[in-house]
Amino acid sequence: MFRTFEKIASGVAQAANAAGTLVVVLLIAVVNYDIVARGIFNKPFLGAVEVVQFSMVLIVFLQLPDVIRVGRLTRSDGFLMLVSRRNFGTGRFLSRLIDLVSATFMAIVAWAIWPEFLDMWETKDYFGVPGVFTAPWWPIKLVIFLSACLCIVHFALRIIKGPTPPTSDDGLSEKFGGDGSIEEKAGTP
Amino acid sequence: MTPVEIGALSIGAIVFLIYIGVYIPIALGVVSFAAIWIMRGNVDLSFALTKIAIGDSAMEYTFATIPLFVFMGLIVSKAGLGADIYTVMNQGCRRITGGIGMATVGANAVFAAVTGSSIASASVFSKMSVPAMLSHDYNPRFAVGVVAGSSVLGMIIPPSAMLIIYSFVAEQSVGEMFLAGVIPGLLLAAAYVAAIWFMGRFTPGFVGGTIIEDGDMMSWGEIANKTLPITLLIIVVLGGIYTGWTTPVEAGAAGSLLGIIIAAVRGRINLKSFWETVLETGHITAALLFLITAASMYARMLGIAGLPNALQTVLAENNLSFFWIMTLLVVLMLFLGTILDTASIILIVVPLFLGLIESMGLSLVWFGIVAVVAAEIGLLTPPLGLSCFVIKATLDDDRIKLKDVFLGALPFAFVMLLVLIVLIRFPILSLALL
Repeated sequence: MFRTFEKIASGVAQAANAAGTLVVVLLIAVVNYDIVARGIFNKPFLGAVEVVQFSMVLIVFLQLPDVIRVGRLTRSDGFLMLVSRRNFGTGRFLSRLIDLVSATFMAIVAWAIWPEFLDMWETKDYFGVPGVFTAPWWPIKLVIFLSACLCIVHFALRIIKGPTPPTSDDGLSEKFGGDGSIEEKAGTP
Repeated sequence: MTPVEIGALSIGAIVFLIYIGVYIPIALGVVSFAAIWIMRGNVDLSFALTKIAIGDSAMEYTFATIPLFVFMGLIVSKAGLGADIYTVMNQGCRRITGGIGMATVGANAVFAAVTGSSIASASVFSKMSVPAMLSHDYNPRFAVGVVAGSSVLGMIIPPSAMLIIYSFVAEQSVGEMFLAGVIPGLLLAAAYVAAIWFMGRFTPGFVGGTIIEDGDMMSWGEIANKTLPITLLIIVVLGGIYTGWTTPVEAGAAGSLLGIIIAAVRGRINLKSFWETVLETGHITAALLFLITAASMYARMLGIAGLPNALQTVLAENNLSFFWIMTLLVVLMLFLGTILDTASIILIVVPLFLGLIESMGLSLVWFGIVAVVAAEIGLLTPPLGLSCFVIKATLDDDRIKLKDVFLGALPFAFVMLLVLIVLIRFPILSLALL
């Protein structure tokens, strides 16, 4: 039962992550298209700024659950590691407590953004310049809400499973991961 | 408790939580949420703030520079551009004591102009130049120290993720921050080369090494093949921003496309490794932007607590001179550098000092360069010197302990501190290109 649930949750996170990855490619393509269209044909793509803004939200919130799933959310875990090495029980307790606090924070985010979504859904409010390029707000709010919920699920899974025993990559669960070879590889769908 | 006291307490709470291992964005978010709740005695404002921070921060147009430049850095590493520039530099420096070290610094400075992260530089160069130096009998500590020290250039020479983050916090233009980083970055590289020369001259034991005598010289054609792609990339990216023909976002996108083309022409990527690179880009972007989002909650909390103003008043009452304020700032950043990563230091410290710097009539662009360099020293100092960890992990060589990496990096951290003092004393170095 738990295994099935975990599998589904991981699958959803990876799918969202893949979608977010496509958005990165889209971002590169759109901006380059705009440069060429504007620079050479003098016909700028009018919605470029809005599309870029939109895709940033998608990249961040589609990929955040997967970042949590593979344990790459920024933290400095030197102290935690030290504690776990001295006394694994204490370290595990602290680790679970931290994930509980994190799940709570994502719940706050979800709770804060949900009324926003309802509001935008009803008013059909949009951003951008009317007559040039507009996009509705509600999908953005919805993505953030769903992402926050998925983050809660993955923090909860971490609480239930507890921390994995320390690996050799001490202290490397950091962002700005180099060329990928030293980092834990994310599951490619 | 007054709001100022609550604000000051929450900074302490954040530093403590981060130290015991709470995810940095979560620590920032939770404490800010609670602090505002306590200050106002009402949870509604906390929710409103969360809503604004989460909903709006990621929508910032200039943040598109982050995934674009991160991707460009990753793809050019895959294309082997770092290795190329290193071999060329090495040929130029081979007859000097510490020559490979100087070549590493030079190559890092050039490579930094196409990548935004110190960690990318650290992992690329520890794979190439450390083995090369060890095979020529260099002192292992010196070898790793050079790589650690010069990897910092990646964050100062534009494009740089840290300059982008600062420009968000201080509401400065990304393009201006990038231009401001050029001279300080080159200055730091020059200072490193000079330091290596001095060490080779006066403490040859620390440097070690033999002069390379093998006659395998590259032809001019080969040199061109190795340097032209990276030159082209630098011209497109920095040239575009400098002339104002492209915005930083567009420069990043154009650079990414060019990086893909170079890597594809050289046959260094296939669909699978391309996908992995984009995936990695997304993970880094998501983690970083989530951190920035949480930090924007923190900055608003500080504003509500009135802490920046209070700090300003306290410093004004004590008649602290420019010298002491800067000393205070640098010491604070060096201290935080021992427990936090660079991005967090900038996001936590800069909002406190912005008002003060502005009221003193100082340039916020200059302050950004100072803040980034000061925070970067932390990459080289224990116990949380991220660059040093990466080098240790990448090398995977039992002969070199983490302690050796830190000790080797120490002289370079010291050189950085000297350069920082020069940058503080002569703001024109940061502002000349604007």
